[in-house]
Amino acid sequence: MLSRVVLSAAATAAPALKNAALLGPGALQTARIFHTGQPSLAPVPPLPEYGGKVRFGLIPEEFFQFLYPKTGVTGPYMLGTGLILYFLSKEIYVVTAETFSSIATIGLLIYGIKKYGPSVAEFADKLNEDKLAKLEEAKQASIKSIQDAIDMEKAQQALVQKRHYLFDVQRNNIAMALEVTYRERLHRVYREVKNRLDYHISVQNVTRRKEQEHMINWVEKSVVQSISAQQEKETIAKCIQDLKLLAKKAQAQPVM
Amino acid sequence: MASPVPLKEKRLLDVRISELPSWVLMRDFTPMGIAGAFRRGYDRYYNKYVNVRKGSVAGLSMVLAAYVVFSYCLSYKELKHERLRKYH
Repeated sequence: MLSRVVLSAAATAAPALKNAALLGPGALQTARIFHTGQPSLAPVPPLPEYGGKVRFGLIPEEFFQFLYPKTGVTGPYMLGTGLILYFLSKEIYVVTAETFSSIATIGLLIYGIKKYGPSVAEFADKLNEDKLAKLEEAKQASIKSIQDAIDMEKAQQALVQKRHYLFDVQRNNIAMALEVTYRERLHRVYREVKNRLDYHISVQNVTRRKEQEHMINWVEKSVVQSISAQQEKETIAKCIQDLKLLAKKAQAQPVM
Repeated sequence: MASPVPLKEKRLLDVRISELPSWVLMRDFTPMGIAGAFRRGYDRYYNKYVNVRKGSVAGLSMVLAAYVVFSYCLSYKELKHERLRKYH
């Protein structure tokens, strides 16, 4: 076995990933891990993209790698051909009627796989992708709903900071209402006082007017009384003479 | 020649030939142990060839080919009589 190589390398073996165990036995075994320690299950590693490589659909690639250092590229093929010829010639594999039916069946299978393989693979991939997309969508939907809830919470919290605006507005309204009432009452006081003062003034005016009128009437009456009858006749005759003079003057003027 | 890694936890290909008998005897041959060995082998094959994103027909065909070979081995005793020549 290659245990001596391993012994020199095991002392410096690093705890590599588990996938290192899939190295073929022909490769340098510097990274083989032993069953020590606890395997960790989380985080779960993602699925590998492709499986192990296999030639002819039957023989894993590791076998070819195992024989490569000693026999080169054609080694395993020679080995396969030799084995087949040996089995046939020594009749370890017996040729019966089943041989031909199996040849036909396997040929048909290979033809079918080669022809329809890719489309079937595509279909399966699409199914997988649909499943993944649905799960992803569900995850995104839940993430989004939680994010929306977070945002709404934040908005509510921000609103709480703005509560004082409400109270400010109410306070302003109340102050304005108080001011308006105060001014209204002030105006009313003014009106009432003015009313009373006006009353006094009009009383005074009326009294004065009455006094004046009475005095004028009294003065007229006394003057009229003092005019005697003779004075009245002389005054009327003089007025008539003046009027005649004036009429002559007026007649003379338009003629010129 | 004490190896730094204890004998029990080495894999088969890392065991020296001189240590082979003690390694074989140290294995777990209880029914649970054997079932565990089958489970481990199945898991190894499954995770390497089947449980991948873009698997191929090889994962299934290798199992079927192994079954064919195994059943041929089992029925070789009867097939010996259908040989075409007696002396090879």
